[in-house]
Formats: sequence, C-alpha cells, structure tokens
Amino acid sequence: MTSLWTRLEPLLPRVEKPARYIGCEDGAGTDIYKPDATSWLLTYPDTYEIGLPNQGLQILYELLNERQDAFAERSYAPWTDMEAQMRSNDLPLFSVDTHRPAAEFDILAFNLSAELVYTNVLNCIDLAGLAVRASERHDSDPLIGAGGHCAYNPEPLADFIDFFVMGDGEEVIAEITTTVGEWRKSGKRSGSRKNVLRALTQIVGVYVPSMYEATYDGANLTGVEPKHPDVPTSIQKRTVADLADWPYPRNQLVPLTEVVHDRLNVEIFRGCTRGCRFCQAGMITRPVRERPASQVREMISKGLERTGYDEVSLTSLSTADFSNIEEVVTNTIEEPGTCGRVSVALPSLRVDAFTVGVAAQVSRARRTGLTFAPEAGSWRMRQIINKLITEEDLYEAVRSAYSQGWHRMKLYFLTGLPSEMDEDTLAIADLAENCVAIGQQYTKKASVTVSLGGFVPKPHTPFQWFGQNEPAELRRKVELLRERLRRNKRVHLKWHSPEASTAEGITSRGDRRIGPVIEHVWRQGGTFQEWSEHFDLRLWEEAMSASGLDIEWYVDRHRDENEVLPWDHIHAGLHKDFLWQDWQDALAGFGLEDCRWTPCYDCGACTEYGIEHVVASPVPPNGGSQGTGQDLTTGHVVPVDLRPRAAARGT
Amino acid sequence: MRLRIRFSKMGKVRFVGHRDVARIVERALRRCGVPITYSEGFSPRARMSFGLALPTCYESEAEYLDVPLDPDSIIDGQIACTGWGQGKLHNPQQMQAALSEALPTGFDVVALTVEPKGGRSLQETVVSCGWKFDILGAVTQEVEEAIERALASSEIETERKKKNELVRENIRYGVHDLRMDGESERGPIVVAELSAKPRVIRPSELVDVLAPGAEMGIARRTHQWIENDGQRQEPLMLSKSLQLKEYS
Repeated sequence: MTSLWTRLEPLLPRVEKPARYIGCEDGAGTDIYKPDATSWLLTYPDTYEIGLPNQGLQILYELLNERQDAFAERSYAPWTDMEAQMRSNDLPLFSVDTHRPAAEFDILAFNLSAELVYTNVLNCIDLAGLAVRASERHDSDPLIGAGGHCAYNPEPLADFIDFFVMGDGEEVIAEITTTVGEWRKSGKRSGSRKNVLRALTQIVGVYVPSMYEATYDGANLTGVEPKHPDVPTSIQKRTVADLADWPYPRNQLVPLTEVVHDRLNVEIFRGCTRGCRFCQAGMITRPVRERPASQVREMISKGLERTGYDEVSLTSLSTADFSNIEEVVTNTIEEPGTCGRVSVALPSLRVDAFTVGVAAQVSRARRTGLTFAPEAGSWRMRQIINKLITEEDLYEAVRSAYSQGWHRMKLYFLTGLPSEMDEDTLAIADLAENCVAIGQQYTKKASVTVSLGGFVPKPHTPFQWFGQNEPAELRRKVELLRERLRRNKRVHLKWHSPEASTAEGITSRGDRRIGPVIEHVWRQGGTFQEWSEHFDLRLWEEAMSASGLDIEWYVDRHRDENEVLPWDHIHAGLHKDFLWQDWQDALAGFGLEDCRWTPCYDCGACTEYGIEHVVASPVPPNGGSQGTGQDLTTGHVVPVDLRPRAAARGT
Repeated sequence: MRLRIRFSKMGKVRFVGHRDVARIVERALRRCGVPITYSEGFSPRARMSFGLALPTCYESEAEYLDVPLDPDSIIDGQIACTGWGQGKLHNPQQMQAALSEALPTGFDVVALTVEPKGGRSLQETVVSCGWKFDILGAVTQEVEEAIERALASSEIETERKKKNELVRENIRYGVHDLRMDGESERGPIVVAELSAKPRVIRPSELVDVLAPGAEMGIARRTHQWIENDGQRQEPLMLSKSLQLKEYS
C-alpha cells in the first residue's frame, strides 16, 4: 500500500481549504486496508463539501468496510487550485482515508447525483492516471463503476464507465465484490477484463454498456441490444424491501471542516408515491419504505450522542408524510441527552402535511430554515404536474410557520412546465405575495424567497416525452416574474441559470452520441459545471456542433409515443404504457392518487418485483388524500378529477 | 466558573482552520456533557472564547480556550455533567481525559483547570508567542548567519500583503528570541519568540529574511505568553510528566 501523503502535504498550504484533502473524519476507518480483499474507491465527483454528506456513499462505505472480503475508501473531486497543483507535481487522484493512489484500487465507483458532474467524472478518471474511454483501459486497470439517480440514463456515459448499478446499492455490492474478487485473485491477466465485465452482466441491477450495441436509423435510435446471448436484454433495478434491515450509516462521518448538511442525517423513509410527474426521484425509488419509528428514534439518539451534533435532519423525499411525524419530532426534541437544544430540520416538506403541530414542535429548539415546494403557481399547473396541493393548503402551512415564530421561508417553483402559460408563471408571484401578507399578520419582518428552477424533463417520468423550454423562453419567464415582483421588497426572487438547464437537458435525455460531447467539454477545461463561476454553455454548444448534433433535437423536441428512448432497456419497474397514460392524463388535467393510502394502480414498481409499501399509518397525514385536505370518506368533492381506476393501464 | 483548556493540534489536523476548530470543540464539549452556557437570542450558540487564532497549516502545543460553565454544575471542584454525560461527576483530570477522547485524532487536551470567571480575555492578555519552524531546503550555515545579522541589526524589514497592498515594516521590535534548533529532514529548524502586540507577527514573515526565496516547512506554536505582575508566564503550564503526543 502506497501513501501519497508525504507528497501531498507540501502542496496543501498552497490551496484553498486544505482540510478537504486530509480525511481524519470521526467515523472514518483508519485501519481499513485488507490485503486480500476487493478494494473500492467510492468517489463523489464534486467538492468534498458537497460530497461528504452524501448518504448513499456513506452507507456503502460502511457496509463494504464491515465485510471480510472488501474494503472501501473515499475520494472527492479536487478543486481547480488543487488539480493544478496535482497535475504540475504528477500527483494522481488519491483517497482521503489513507491517501492511496486511485489506480491501486480494484473498483472506482462514482456517485451520479446530477448530470452536470459528468465532466468531473472524466476528470477524476484522468487524474487517476487512467484512460477516460473504457475501451482504451488496460486489463489490470481498476473497473470504473457508477450508480445513483442519474445512472437511470447511463447512455451519455456509456463510453467511459465499465459498469452501472441501478437502484439501491445495499445488496448488490456484495455480488459485485464477489465477481470482481475472483478476477482480482486470478491476477487480472491479459484478456481477463472482458471476462469480468461479461460476468458482471449476470448480476441483476448491473449494466455493462460495452456488452450492448446501440443502433440508429438516421438520427433516430432504433435500439440498444445485447451483443451476446447470455447478456440480459433489459436491466432491472435493485430495491431493498425493508429499510429496517439496513440501519445505516451507523457511524455517520463527522467532517473536520464545514460541509453542506453539516448535521446528523437520518433517512426516515425511501421512495415516494405522491406521483409528481416531473420528479424522477419519486418515480425510480418506489415503493415507499418507512423505517420503523423505534429504529428512527434509536438512530437519532445514538447518532447525536456519538457525534455531538445539535441538529438532526430527517431525510426522505417528503418528510412530513412519515407516519406520525409529529411524534418523531417530539421524541427527538425531548431526548434528554440534548438538553432541549437540538434543532430538527425537515428538508422536504409537503405543505399539506406540515401542520401547526409539527411547526410548534420543530420551533421548540433553534428554528431551522423552512422550504416549501408548491412547484407551480396556479392550480391548473399543479393539476398537470400532479402536485395536488391547494392554495389553502399552502397558506395553512405558511400560517402555521409564521404563527410559530418563523420570519421567512423559501418557496420552490419550477418554470417551463408542460402547457405553462404566462398567467401560470405570474401566479407564482400572487402566491408569494399572499404568503407574505399572511406573515405580516404575525411579524413585521415577514418575507419570502422564491427560488425558481427551469424544468428539465427526466427519464423514467411521465414528462420524459416533453420538449424542454429553450433558454430564451426560460429567461423570458424569469424576466416576467422579476418585473412583476420588482417593487416588492419582501419577496426575493432567485433563479437557476436557464443556460445550465440546457446543458442538463443534453445530458439528461441524451444517448451514446452525447459521450464525445461530454469528452469535448471536459477537454476544453469544462469541469465543475454545477458551479455558476465555471459553467459555460458555449463549451456545450461548440461540442454539440463538433459532433454534428443538434441541441434542439436533443433538448427542446417533444417525443412521440413510439420513439425508442435511450433508456428503454433500463427498468425501474414502471411500465412504459403507465408513464405514457400518465403523460396523457397530465395534459388532460387528470390527477392520480397516492397509492400508499389508496388501492394499487399497477405502475409496475411493486408488481414487477414482488415488493410492496412499508407504511405504518393507513391514512394520509392531515386527513386528506393528495393534499386536498378534504375528507374523502364523507363525500366531499375532491377538486380534481381523478382518473377512473378501470382506465389504469387501459385494462 | 469556567473551564480553561490548553490543547494541542498536531499532524494532519494542522490543515483545519480556526473556525472549524471551534465547531469541532463545541461538538466534543456536548459529547462529554460539559455544562456549557449558551448565548441569548434567535439562534443560541455555545459560549466559548479562544486565545489567539492559529493560522491554518500551523501545528500547536499551546492553544487556549475558556468555556463559561453553568455555576450550579460545580460541586466541590468537580464538574457535574449534563446531557450525554448526565450523572457523571468529573474532576479536572477526568474531564481532561474525556475531552481528549472526544476530540478527533491530532487534538489533545494537555491541561485543564476549573477557575473563577473574570479578568481580561485570553486574546487581550497574550503578549507574545513561541514558535518552532523549519525552512524547506535552506542551508543551515546561511540561516545561522542571517539570524546573527538580524539580531545585531536594529531593523528586520519584512513585506506582507495587507488588503492586496504590499506593506513594508520593521519588525525588529517584535522579535524577542531567534535561534537555531537543529535540523529536520526538511531543513534547518528555527525557534522564535514573536510579539503578539500590537499585532501577531507570524513565523512566515521571517522566512524571507532568514532564507530569501525559500518556503516554510511545518510551523508549530509552542507557547502563548501572558504577563502577570510583570512576570512572563503561560495561562496554563504543562505538567512536567506530560508527554505531548505527536501525529504525522
């Protein structure tokens, strides 16, 4: 085992935030090296501050290090100043745990949380001293793997990644460890790389792009087919059936330097079936799997005692939907070890489930920031995206918060949604102003921050067929709102760059032909594209035209029902005809209930894999279904037409 | 009452910045159940006051921290812990050991007392600091001669950046002690005592005087000196039997 520490140490005084590169976190292994085990370098392709808190990476880190036949270390993308130092001193990418060179590991595994990190993935592979193209790597080079939400459309990275993993990683890492371990023991001889990759295709959830051929008819993709008869034609995602079996991380890493989400993070459930049609996470992580409340409580209490944190975040895709969330929050705040000084962060809140009770509990200690996500300004628009919360739901939640002492909150909206009209965009301003007016009944300081993101359609969602708004149109909508809110000092408008949304669009729904585009952008120095100071749309435009590809065709174009999509061979359980029906229902303004509290409509996520929801409470929080806040059992009219059950999947 | 804590910061953790150290210490205090007090207001924070900030990348044997305690928590000189330490009664030695254990590798509590509150803050009272540093690749003989020249002269002219402007200053007034102390594998080792008033003079400012163009290796703060009735002393002395832990 080689440590690069003595070569790294003299470079650290020359870079910003050197603590990013030293490791030493509480919870990190100091003696993790196992000579005969399969070694994983878990790499987050963004800065340490962004990557360290990533729960998926920390879970796998711990699980692998518990095994006898594996060990794992971590690595993060070095910031540009460090990269310059590394390149001029011939220092390769290293692990932060023991500062071993990346190329000494058997597997380099990347977490793909966002598409704009793709150029950083290439940069990390290159810094490791490896060829960025999979076909040019040597037999004994590490295998490059990738997982995370973006892996559900692996095609843009197909040229660079040896294998992808779809879905939850907890179980599949054992099978990969075994297969790669056999290759390692055999000495990684000449010609063996093809064999280990072929063997990996036999693991459910693993996709080896080099074992597949993409075919085209002119500009149109006609299919992605296996090259060998034993290689599966479709790749099915992995899902852990019960979160209770996986109380990880047990020892959350406590960094020595401040990172994002610098607090105890406890995942209280995985998956979401609210059915918001723009939301990829809600589609690919089904079904809902709640962690037992007693386990949540134990993880919180042990975690706080071990780390000394005074803030805990209850993470999920929609935290207020957890059965009996108020009790979980109360128990946390009343945990004796915290002396009543723990704050509870609820990062993803649906307004219809955020009650004055929850607000009162949360505000007993230090008040954390509150973010609500109405996503769209008008009820018509929210019907189309199936985010069925009424204006009254939002105002009630906002009233709860202001009445419990909050002065400001953040409202998250998307613009560029299907069929959006200017009146829908402008309705965002009305909502925000009404929220401020409610706040002013409680405090003179009431204010609201509106955060506006440009909508990028994502694979495996009902909106995957929708043509994205072009940057000029997104820009016009932002300006519309800016002008409308210009004189209101209590509503602060922030927006995401429309140009960055275009690059995200290229990579989100791209096919294999986008690979050279990503490589071109990287070769022109386009790393850290998630960072506005480094993002440059011109690099992407140049790269597209250098490859003879049309941005309009990839990004702005509506797809039709029969088009072969680049990710059609990848499966999250969802039936394609369910998604298409949901897309048609969206355009018709039909809503869809949340199936965790109502009968199954067979989207495929449970039925395809023989699993089901794990939910403690049989009724939705706050008494409503889909946030209408109305009691369905006593015959109130739901203000949206729900699609008749018989019509589900046209059966 | 308050805890006065002296701690060391050695090895890799020398790259952790001052504000991050405060966060780390706060977590350790909570893990041990130290009966800390909190500021008032919308976002209460644990009350702590540090001595002079240590530049990032420097090691130290002499970092100081005062932690005001809940007065009801002191029973016969012992500290009644709260929170995660509820039920424990620690004497200062036990508290020192518990805090060292709770701090990350590289940080050790090397002295700790329980004392009455009051007096001037550490930041105000520290007059000078002791330092030890090596100079990368410098020639020992040349550094030795440069030290002799500097001490014999009434001027030690240094340059430093202040708001993007180069400021030249004679720091001879602040150089109380300056001598060689052997060699490390990186280069000659220099020991210095440098003034902390009216501003903290850093060892890095001396490197260009002692070996023009060379880079500083590893620097370590060895002492923070205060004056008490004209006597120079340390806020907390190290026990003679204490062996400082080194980390690489």
